[in-house]
Amino acid sequence: MNYLKSIKQSFLLAALFCPFFLQAQSNYSTRNGKISFFSSTPLEDIKAASNNGTAVLLSKTKDIAFQVPIKSFQFEKGLMQEHFNENYMESDKYPVAKFKGKLNQDIDLSKNGEYDVTSTGTLSLHGVDKPRTISGKLKVSDGKVQLISNFNVACVDHNIKIPTIVIAKVAEIIAVKVDAVLTPLTK
Amino acid sequence: MISTKIKSLFIALGISSSALAQDADSLLNQLGGNQKHDALTATFKASRIIFTQSTETEKKYDLNFLISHRFGDIGGDFGSSHTLWGLDIAQDLYIGFDYGITSKLTAGIGRSKHNELYNFFLKQKMLEQTKTFPVNATLFAQAGIIAREENSVNEFANGSDRNSYFLQALVSRKFSSAFSLQGSVGYLARPVGSEANDEKGLLSLGLAGRLKVTKRMALVGDYQFSNISRPDNLINTYYNSLGAGLEIETGGHVFALNFCNAPYINENNYIAETLKSWTDGGVRFGFTISRNFTLHKSKNPDINSKIY
Repeated sequence: MNYLKSIKQSFLLAALFCPFFLQAQSNYSTRNGKISFFSSTPLEDIKAASNNGTAVLLSKTKDIAFQVPIKSFQFEKGLMQEHFNENYMESDKYPVAKFKGKLNQDIDLSKNGEYDVTSTGTLSLHGVDKPRTISGKLKVSDGKVQLISNFNVACVDHNIKIPTIVIAKVAEIIAVKVDAVLTPLTK
Repeated sequence: MISTKIKSLFIALGISSSALAQDADSLLNQLGGNQKHDALTATFKASRIIFTQSTETEKKYDLNFLISHRFGDIGGDFGSSHTLWGLDIAQDLYIGFDYGITSKLTAGIGRSKHNELYNFFLKQKMLEQTKTFPVNATLFAQAGIIAREENSVNEFANGSDRNSYFLQALVSRKFSSAFSLQGSVGYLARPVGSEANDEKGLLSLGLAGRLKVTKRMALVGDYQFSNISRPDNLINTYYNSLGAGLEIETGGHVFALNFCNAPYINENNYIAETLKSWTDGGVRFGFTISRNFTLHKSKNPDINSKIY
């Protein structure tokens, strides 16, 4: 009897575990995604980068979200960084930049491969929300998902004002690059 | 035994499925413990407000080059059109370099025209204002050496009579992106007083503020209450220092234009020796130009900026 009972219990255990393992593989996240941007004009090329991007990807609902603290962007010059935070991004008031959207493609994240994807959602920056469709790439290998995306942000879209005195030094359209390796979220 | 295991499994599953039920937003927030990016920056734009240090220190490896100038009295015996309201006179001139050893520790050297004073200082940021912590706090320690010749025989009987020391604790708060306020407590230690009855050590309390009027312009006010600990029976009348000014920021430069009664720029000079008052024309125009240099180039290609 005991023997039979334990078999029953092991089945029960297995049955319980199965969906758990399947589901556990369907959420991906990172908290050290790399995000960088580039402003290019004939006078100055300005670059900045952050390794503090957080990203989540929920394969079940196809939700994708990426967020970065504005103050985590590092510049070559400390003063540039201060101006970026104080005069352009007002990061005390608007501390994070965020994209939240849904993947437009059905991707099987259990299969290794490279997939071109687009995501439609909202880009929130400097207190202004803009509906955007952003294209990128998902590279799946061994359970990890690498998210790569290049897109542009027009300063005027997000009410970021460039004073006329530096207009030749700061580009009106900023190129943004995201590169993040998401790992399965286990809890 | 087994049933307890199953029970704990159910609990574990309960937790994990609740995690799965969350949407992208709450997951992001869970991950995002971004406490370290919480510090409020730029409570003040410059390292000095008018004559008082601000709680700001230089950025790591940044060198700040300062030139300060104080003209002569606008009114009174030394002012009026005969000196073009003080513009003919260079009451004091300060040339200095501040260097950020770390982003919180600044070392500085400078030289003043008055007393031919050479000063050396260290400035350490102790606390930073964040979303949860209310104030910035900075300690400032300065030594000054008078290099001029004696005005009277045995003025500096001992070599150490040329040295003075100033210690100051500064506390500031950025109330909004436009308004910051600073309080300070300072102590000036001198080998000899200004006159026979004078105290050697002087306590000085300060209050200063900054109000941004545009993104790149701010009004600043500065007050040093320096005569609290002084006796009443002194021959000269010593005044507290009051200044008001305009700060203009243009990228790497900060220009500060001001009016104040303090004739001298360095703490070791003006705390004890402000004999000018706003009420008798002893106000002067002054300015400070500071230029920032980044000495250390980052090796990270992601953040290399190029200026053509």
